[in-house]
Amino acid sequence: MPSDHRLHPTSILFSLAGSLKAFLLPAIVLMVTSGRSSDTPAPDGFGPGRWMTRWMPGDVEIANWQFFLLLLLIPSTIAAVVRYFSFRMRYEGTELVIRSGIFFRNERHVPYARIQNLDAVRNVAHRLLGVAEVRIETGGGQAPEATIRVLHETVFEEMRRRIFEERARAAGQADAVATETETPAVPAPAAESRTLLHLPLREVFLNGVLDNRGMLLIGAAYGLLWEAGLFRGFWDQLARGAYAPGLVRDTVQTMAGGDVPSLSRIAVLLVGVVGLLVLVRLLSMIWSGVRLYEFTLSRVGDDLRSEYGLFTRVMATIPLRRVQTLTIRESPLQRLVKRMSIRVDTAGGTATPEGGPKQPREALAPIIRRDAVPALVREVLPGVELDAIEWLPLHPRAFRRAVKPAMLIALAVTAPLIGILGWPGVAVLPFTAVWLALVTWKQVRRMQWAASGDLIAFRSGWFWRHVTVAPVVKVQTVTRTESPFDRRNAMAGVQVDTAGGRMHQIRIPYLARETAGTLHERLASQAAQTAFRW
Amino acid sequence: MDTQAAVSIADGVTRQLDPRWIPLRRIHNAIFFVVLSMASFVGVIVLWISSRMLVVGLLLLPVWAVVMAAIAWQLYRWPPISYRHASYCLDGEGFEITRGVYWRTITNVPRSRVQHTDVSQGPLERRYGLGTLVVHTAGTMHSQETLSGLEFTVARQIRAHLLPGDEGDAV
Repeated sequence: MPSDHRLHPTSILFSLAGSLKAFLLPAIVLMVTSGRSSDTPAPDGFGPGRWMTRWMPGDVEIANWQFFLLLLLIPSTIAAVVRYFSFRMRYEGTELVIRSGIFFRNERHVPYARIQNLDAVRNVAHRLLGVAEVRIETGGGQAPEATIRVLHETVFEEMRRRIFEERARAAGQADAVATETETPAVPAPAAESRTLLHLPLREVFLNGVLDNRGMLLIGAAYGLLWEAGLFRGFWDQLARGAYAPGLVRDTVQTMAGGDVPSLSRIAVLLVGVVGLLVLVRLLSMIWSGVRLYEFTLSRVGDDLRSEYGLFTRVMATIPLRRVQTLTIRESPLQRLVKRMSIRVDTAGGTATPEGGPKQPREALAPIIRRDAVPALVREVLPGVELDAIEWLPLHPRAFRRAVKPAMLIALAVTAPLIGILGWPGVAVLPFTAVWLALVTWKQVRRMQWAASGDLIAFRSGWFWRHVTVAPVVKVQTVTRTESPFDRRNAMAGVQVDTAGGRMHQIRIPYLARETAGTLHERLASQAAQTAFRW
Repeated sequence: MDTQAAVSIADGVTRQLDPRWIPLRRIHNAIFFVVLSMASFVGVIVLWISSRMLVVGLLLLPVWAVVMAAIAWQLYRWPPISYRHASYCLDGEGFEITRGVYWRTITNVPRSRVQHTDVSQGPLERRYGLGTLVVHTAGTMHSQETLSGLEFTVARQIRAHLLPGDEGDAV
């Protein structure tokens, strides 16, 4: 067929590189361990490695494990070649058709109207060769509907253009495909691109400071080094050095013994802790810089498009009408510098590339000035004025209810202490109790909801604040819950389930029974009716 | 109920489950009880022997018997109670399921949000002519709502009513 597209020839290389990567870690471990044992002269063994060495030019020596590694690569090589030669992709009227496989043929039809998001990921090698790995997500499941690796950039551009244009056209014929928007999207003659958010390097680094990813990096590095067996030497060195690894333990023991530890010892400890914290933040900054370099969020026609990354460039496209929920998050540190982050959830999976590491979709705005938030929200959810939302509090007696489980938690936390310290441990109880009561008070006060017009909003949290807004058309099910305690207080809770909302779910507790009833009825019938408007 | 259902099931009337659900639940509970009592009996015997207090440990057996009797009574008593607190209601807009004795939930699934539905029937359910209806939505928390204890034909009628028409997708 003339309109058939194939993968880019370098696909084979990338598939191979992918399987090589999967072997890399075991290979390193093997190399380290075998490197140690090879200090002793290798006995003249038999084995296939010996045999291959004889056939290699020069004095290239191949150990047995290297040979087996090569053997393991053969099936994936065949698979890569097969995938390259069997893959065909073509655009039809309303759907994308992907065919693959030689013995087991598979033909997948993905209707344009069902595509939730379309992402392209390009790492350094991809960019050098001008290709991209493309992920297509539809509503179902966790994994992307189709991961196409790799396509030439121009092919991807064409794909994006076609998919979203065809979809807009289909949506224009209101009967063919249902749109959520009040006014059906008119196919834009030329989709203009408007930048909504651009993060300068300063903001990106600031994001790194606020966002504590550094600890994760350290954990990962530690695990890797541990696996490679490099730590043994490191710890040996440390133990022989001036300060033993038992420094912390010694200090604690001294203090427990009632003695004051020496000043120099405290200083060393403090410097160590502060240094570690700084290092963590620094790493986090670098990580953020690598990940979010030149972060740009723009609106092209009816789609949101974000692009970011220093080495691996990610291009994500989210159709506006696919936005299920919008969540604004504010951590204590972010509040200090008046920043927030915004995340939108689509019904698509969490973009886990097969065999790759789990990487959650990047936020819509990882870091944004507080005063710029309403404008962006207005852009994503038209008609939503964040400042105009009339927040309603929970039931007046909500705190009295919520504080009881909090006190139980305080007891449960203190009980083991009593076991360890004996009865003096009881002295801790007032502190935990007061602290938990305060936290509960603040949380109950912060927890508010709003259901005005055609949206439902919920906010919660005191330290880490979350605000979630969802259009009622995106509401899937509405549940009213009543615990025995609720009944005694004439209260009830309402849970609103959406296709997004993985991060912050709408669960409103401690409402007056009548309020919960009306809210439940209204949301349910409103959600049911919005569908009929098409 | 059968004649009503034949006319239209979607009339907004709150209905109880099929009463045959009670004996069915009791059979399920009986199977569960047999497995539980056998497993716990073995556990008690092992505990008794390994504790090396053969005389005092003998007291474990009556304790076990009392606990098991209490569980058995509860398992026998529970189905009618939960039956009284379970109901469903179907109208033009959607499907409402009420459940729970102590922790009560009322879940509304708008008809337009139904992605697909399953009607299943196990061997025991088949003997009683009952079926289980599973309604799937695109949600995350409650992406499926299960309602067992429906008469099989009623379950299929509800399914037919809930099947998404050509109203497009709500995602």
